[in-house]
Amino acid sequence: MKILAHVTDDGLREALRASAADLGAELQEVDGPLLDGGRSLPAQADLVVAESGDDENLDRLREVTNRVGSSLLVACHGLEECETAALAGVDDWILLPADRQQLGAQLALAREKAAIMRPRRENERAELLRYEELLYDKLTGLPTLPVMMERARELLERRGELTVLYIHFVWYEKVEEIYGWQKLDDVLATTATAVKEFYAREHIGSENLMMVSHIADDDFILFTELGTTPEIAEQRLRALTQQLEDYLRTRIEELHGEDIAALCGIYVGAGTIFRNPKIRTERLIYRGLREAERAARSAEEWERARKVGELKTTLREGLVFIEYHPIIVTATEEIYGYEALARGTRKELRSPEVLFEVAEEANLVWELGRLLRQRAVEGMIHELKDGQFLFLNVDPKDFDDPTFRDMDPKDLGIDDPSRVVLEITERTAIKDYPRFQEYLAAFRKRGFRFAVDDAGSGYAGLGSIANLAPDYIKLDISLISNIDSNFLKQNLVETMVSFAESQGAKVIAEGVERREEFETVKELGVHLTQGFLFHRPKYAGKPRT
Amino acid sequence: MARNESVPILVVDDDPNSLDIVRTFLEARGYRVVTASTGKEALSRMEELRPGLVLLDVMMPGMDGWEVARVIKSHPDFGSVRIVMLTARSDFADKQQGLRSGADDYIVKPIRLEELGTRVERNMKALERPA
Repeated sequence: MKILAHVTDDGLREALRASAADLGAELQEVDGPLLDGGRSLPAQADLVVAESGDDENLDRLREVTNRVGSSLLVACHGLEECETAALAGVDDWILLPADRQQLGAQLALAREKAAIMRPRRENERAELLRYEELLYDKLTGLPTLPVMMERARELLERRGELTVLYIHFVWYEKVEEIYGWQKLDDVLATTATAVKEFYAREHIGSENLMMVSHIADDDFILFTELGTTPEIAEQRLRALTQQLEDYLRTRIEELHGEDIAALCGIYVGAGTIFRNPKIRTERLIYRGLREAERAARSAEEWERARKVGELKTTLREGLVFIEYHPIIVTATEEIYGYEALARGTRKELRSPEVLFEVAEEANLVWELGRLLRQRAVEGMIHELKDGQFLFLNVDPKDFDDPTFRDMDPKDLGIDDPSRVVLEITERTAIKDYPRFQEYLAAFRKRGFRFAVDDAGSGYAGLGSIANLAPDYIKLDISLISNIDSNFLKQNLVETMVSFAESQGAKVIAEGVERREEFETVKELGVHLTQGFLFHRPKYAGKPRT
Repeated sequence: MARNESVPILVVDDDPNSLDIVRTFLEARGYRVVTASTGKEALSRMEELRPGLVLLDVMMPGMDGWEVARVIKSHPDFGSVRIVMLTARSDFADKQQGLRSGADDYIVKPIRLEELGTRVERNMKALERPA
């Protein structure tokens, strides 16, 4: 390791010399300030040691060391200087008088870092490092558009032709809502990695695939050169587009499961740019980008239209099936009731979230709701044992549907509405609260019970729960997972339980998957439990045709 | 194994008095304690300090505690770090906010030292368990 130092403090100098000797590091000391006269000395050092004070411009020093990949250790004469150094973003600091042992440890750490940084520093990309923070996407490590523009221009000028692939990544909002933003970040990172893997696998190689960029937090662009005759290029492009789409989908499905993959869409569009000396190169590139983006978006539109078609078929033919997920009494582990879960039979529409998103888009929510309720009741109502309940999911929008609102429970095959619990999720915002409460009151009068779904997920705060006065409060899975080691979650659930009890309601813990989670919710007094630990969703005992 | 050989606790608070009290108390109980006075400083030193537990004040100038918690929890290396928020109040909304930021526990300010002791202890214990 090479150390470059400018120190005036005698104690520090001594400690530095001794520690450097201990580590077998090469120590070079200079007399004047490190950056004096545009010195480029830090470039050769793994570690730069400077003393805080008027002599050195820390901000500038940090910038230089950052750029070349050296560590910067600053010795400070007081806590205030330490703070300044920390704010300047130096790698490390030491308070004077220097403690020899501490300095030794810090140097050892710098050596470890140097082992990582050195190959990078020696790389020809050194001059780009300066821009890295700004110009490379933090999540995926891919360069952003400004970096690409410059390189694309170079390429276009050299080759005369350039192809842009625009990878348009869409997700249904539900991914973030159900699984959290971290999950979405994971999926995006997977996509970025998959693009790189694809690049390696297809040997598009350095010759053809020029670069990948990550823009607008969800889309990627990829510049490539496909060459030869226009016909072959066109064909090759279409094949490549399809392969890339398929590959990305497969990877997401493998790594994140079918449910998440169903909620994400990847569409690739292509555009070709030819050099035209009369038109500004940047404009050409932007045009090509827009062309590719439009192609990707139109692929998306097409796909959406196809899904709407699938949904219409689904509704016409009744291509849904219902699974029933048992809810148990926490104390006795006996089955308390069943929640009906809908799934489409067609692969693209299997996920209930997708089913509803598509219905929303096609304005078919009511129709879908009717079909699902009918099936859900048919499949289970006669299987219920005494004292058991059937839980049905209902969207607030369903209450706007007169055929639901004014239905006679008998039409649905429900003889005793008090055996039916309507689960309401507030994912669709309730616009007209007083009216909504009127509707609820009418259902209640007929004997139905209510549950608030996803409580604690951000949709249903205590306020809205109080307003709906439900009989059951269903805690969101995000509150339950790993509750055994998260005391904040425990406290929140405890609050919910005592709140529910004061309202005469019962709390249901959703998504209990581990014994420890179950023991914890039991201890917290949660009345009912649902989760894979005890039961998986299943078909009704006697499927009806 | 003596406690002070174990992973350190990082205390982040912009109030030096508060930092001092917490540090003294925890060190007396045998923990290794490191401190930071801003969220930015805490983040910049995570890699070097590798704390197992971060006690994080919510109200700080610049980056607030929620933000810091979120950054730490979303970092691939620090996802398993326990985060305990120090918050001035604790209503339902605050706790939900804490949950979204990835916090594991919270302590309401002004801090009662015996509570601090038990909370730190149980979170350090939870750290020893495999997730």
